[in-house]
Amino acid sequence: MAMLVDTDTKTELGFPYWKPIRRLFGPESPFFSSGNIERELLAKQVALDLSEEEKHTLQNLVDEGGSREVFCPIVGCGAHLISLEHFEDHYNGRHTASCSVCSRVYPTSRLLSIHVSEAHDSFFKAKVARGYAMYECLVEGCGLKFKNYKGRQQHLVDKHKFPSSFEFFKKAHLSKKARQKQHRKQSIHRSEETSSKMDIEGETIDGLVSAVSKLSTSDSSPPSSISFGRRNTRGLAFVPRAVQREKKAADSVPTGAKQ
Amino acid sequence: MAEGGLTSHRRDPIKSSVGNVAAHRRRQNAVEVGKERRESLVRAKRLCRVSSSCDDSDVCIENDMIIDEEQSILEAQTSSAVEELKSAVSFQGKGAMQKLVGALREMRRLLSKSEFPPVEAAIKAGAIPLLVQCLSFGSPDEQLLEAAWCLTNIAAGKPEETKALLPALPLLIAHLGEKSSSPVAEQCAWALGNVAGEGEELRSVLLCQGALPPLARMMLPNKGSTVRTAAWALSNLIKGPDHKAATELIRVDGVVDAILRHLRKADEELATEVAWVVVYLSALSNVATSMLVKSDVIQLLVQRLASSNSLQLLIPVLRSLGNVIAGDSHTIVAVLLPGCEITDNVIEVLVKCLKSEHRVLKKEAAWVLSNIAAGSVEHKQLIYSSEAAPLLLRLLSTAPFDIRKEVAYVLGNLCVAPTEGDGKPNLISEHLVSLVGRGCLPGFIDLVRSADTEAARLGLQFMELVLRGMPNGEGPKLVEREDGIEAMERFQFHENEDLRNMANGLVDRYFGEDYGLDE
Repeated sequence: MAMLVDTDTKTELGFPYWKPIRRLFGPESPFFSSGNIERELLAKQVALDLSEEEKHTLQNLVDEGGSREVFCPIVGCGAHLISLEHFEDHYNGRHTASCSVCSRVYPTSRLLSIHVSEAHDSFFKAKVARGYAMYECLVEGCGLKFKNYKGRQQHLVDKHKFPSSFEFFKKAHLSKKARQKQHRKQSIHRSEETSSKMDIEGETIDGLVSAVSKLSTSDSSPPSSISFGRRNTRGLAFVPRAVQREKKAADSVPTGAKQ
Repeated sequence: MAEGGLTSHRRDPIKSSVGNVAAHRRRQNAVEVGKERRESLVRAKRLCRVSSSCDDSDVCIENDMIIDEEQSILEAQTSSAVEELKSAVSFQGKGAMQKLVGALREMRRLLSKSEFPPVEAAIKAGAIPLLVQCLSFGSPDEQLLEAAWCLTNIAAGKPEETKALLPALPLLIAHLGEKSSSPVAEQCAWALGNVAGEGEELRSVLLCQGALPPLARMMLPNKGSTVRTAAWALSNLIKGPDHKAATELIRVDGVVDAILRHLRKADEELATEVAWVVVYLSALSNVATSMLVKSDVIQLLVQRLASSNSLQLLIPVLRSLGNVIAGDSHTIVAVLLPGCEITDNVIEVLVKCLKSEHRVLKKEAAWVLSNIAAGSVEHKQLIYSSEAAPLLLRLLSTAPFDIRKEVAYVLGNLCVAPTEGDGKPNLISEHLVSLVGRGCLPGFIDLVRSADTEAARLGLQFMELVLRGMPNGEGPKLVEREDGIEAMERFQFHENEDLRNMANGLVDRYFGEDYGLDE
C-alpha cells in the first residue's frame, strides 16, 4: 500500500493516500492462524468423539444379533471378513490384481502389468537382451524407461527420492511344498496358454461355491468379473450372483454389476 | 468412520464404558490438552486411535491420560513389542501370518493408547524397517492395515519421528492403488497425510514419488471415510508454499467435478475437508482459482455459508470465498457484478458471518468485504447501502482489535474511488460524510493510538481523508474534537520514520500556524 513519498516539493504533501486494493494472504500467513488453530483443536476432539459415535453404531449392530462373518474361500487366504461388503472389497483387493503365474498381488493394475512383463514375459526379456530400454519408472506420470532393473532402481533413488532399500521385485522365500506347487502350476500354465477364458471361469466359480463348506478350491486365479449379492445369506451357502445367473436363466441382473 | 461391528461376546465391555460422565471427562481432557497446544505450532497431523473397520478387538476408549510412570512402562512394553515383531517377521513356520499380525496388533495398540504414544521408543528399538517389510506387495490386508496404522501414529509425532518414515513412503503410496482394499488405502492415506503435514521438505519428497495422483483419485467417490481422509491428506500435501502441487491437483481428471459435487452434496464432515483443499488451491494457484471461478463454486460456497452452522465448515468455506475474490480480479469484474443475484447473496452471507459470535468468522468476513469494497463504485454503493454498514460501524467501536483492523479496511475502501494512475485518489463524499456522521472517526483515531504500525497507518490515512474531504472545512474541527491532534503528536518523535512523516505532515498542513485564526 505504500507510495514512495516525495518530500522535496513544498506544495505536495507527499502523503501515502488511502488506496483501495485487494489483499491476498498465503495459506500459512499469520493472518489466518486463529482459524487454523480452530481446525486442529477440533480435529483432536474428533478422534475421541468418534469413539462415541462408533459405540452407538456398534451397539446397534450388536443388538441386531448374530454375526455376518465370511471367510474368504480362496485357498491360502483364510481372511476373516465381517460382512459381505467387506468381502467384496477384500476380493477385489486381494484376488483380482494377482499375477496368474506366480500369484504375487499388487495394489494397482499398472504395477501388476509391470511385474508380469518384467518377471514372466519372454518377449520382454528378448528386447532387454537386445538393448532396448524396457524397465519403466514406477512413478505414475514419469514415463522414463531404463535398460536394466538396476538402472531403474537408481533413477527411483536419484530422481524420486526412494530409499535405496526399496526393492520392487522381491524373491519369494517359499517352503519346499510351496515351491513344488508353484512349479507344477507354472508347467500347467505353459501348456494351457490357449485354453478359453470361460473354462477357467467355470472352474473357479464352482470352486467358490463348494469352498464355503470345504475351504478348498482349485489353484487357478479367479476371473475379474464376479460380483456378490447384497442379501444377507446367513445360514445359507454363500452363492455368488454369477452362479445364480447360470442356474436360473431368467435372472436379469448383469454380471459384474457392483451397486 | 464408524463402520463395522463386533461379535456378540464384546457386548458387556462396551456397555460399561458408555457413560455420559466418562465421555464428558474425555471431552474435557481433549479441550484442556487442546488449550495447552494452542500456544505451540498448529498441529497438522492426526493420531489414529480408532480404526475405520473394527474387525478386531478392543476399541481404545479407556486410558486417555497416562501419567509419567505409566509412560515409562509403556516405553518398555513398546521395546519388547518391537522385539516380538522382529522375531515374527523372520518366522517362516506354521501360523507365521497370524503370529505376524498379532505382533503388529500389539505394536499398534501400544501406539494408539495415549495422547503421547511411545514413538521415540519404537523408533529406537528398530520398528521402522520391520514395518516397511510388513508393507511388501502381496501381504494380507490385516497385516498391511496394522503396519500402516503403526506408521500413521509414528508419523504423528515430532518432526524427526515423522522423517523416520522415509523408507516406507513408496510402499505407502503404492498401496493407495485402486486394487487395494478400502481400509488399507485409507490407512495409508492417513499416514501420508501426517507425513505431508510435517513440512515442505517431506511434502516435496512425497510429490516426487508420485503421491498426488492416487490420492486425488481417492477423493472422487461420493462418500465414505476414505474420501474424507484422502481430502484431508491432499490438503496437507498441496499446502505449499510452492504452488506446483496445487496446480497439479486441479488438473487431475475429475477433480474439479468432485470438488463441486462434494461442496454441493456431501455431509458437513466431508465438505469441511474438501473446503480446506479449496482454500489451498485458491490461495496458491492462479490456474486453480481461475478454473474454480469459472465453474459455479461461488454459488456453492455461498449456499454452504447460508445453510450451515458448523464453525468447522464455515471457516474454510468463508476463506475459500475470500481467496477467490482476493486472488482473481475476474471474480469481482465479471462474476460478482453489482445488481446480480449472486452478488447480493454473497453480501448476505458475509453479513451473517459478521453477526456470528465467532471471532474468526467476523474477522475474515470483514476481510472479504474489504476486497469487494476495493472494486468498482457500484460495489462500494452495494455494501454501503446493505445491512453490512451499520454492523461494521458497531464492530469498529466494540470488537477485538484484529476485527477492528479489518473493519477499518472496509470502511476506508468505501470512501475512496478506484484509483487510476498515480494521482491522488478521489473521495466518495457521500459515503465519507455519512460514515463520519455516524461516528466512525473515534474508531480510526483509536487505531492510530495502537501499537500496531499497520493499524496506525490506516488510522492516519483515514484521518487524511477526513481532513481533506469533509465539506466546509469541517475536517480539522472534527479531528480535533476527537483528540486526533494529540494522537498524531505522539508520533513526533516516534521511531518509525514513515509514521512520523505522515503524522507530522498532517499536523503541519491542517493544524499549522493559521489554524484557528478564522474563528
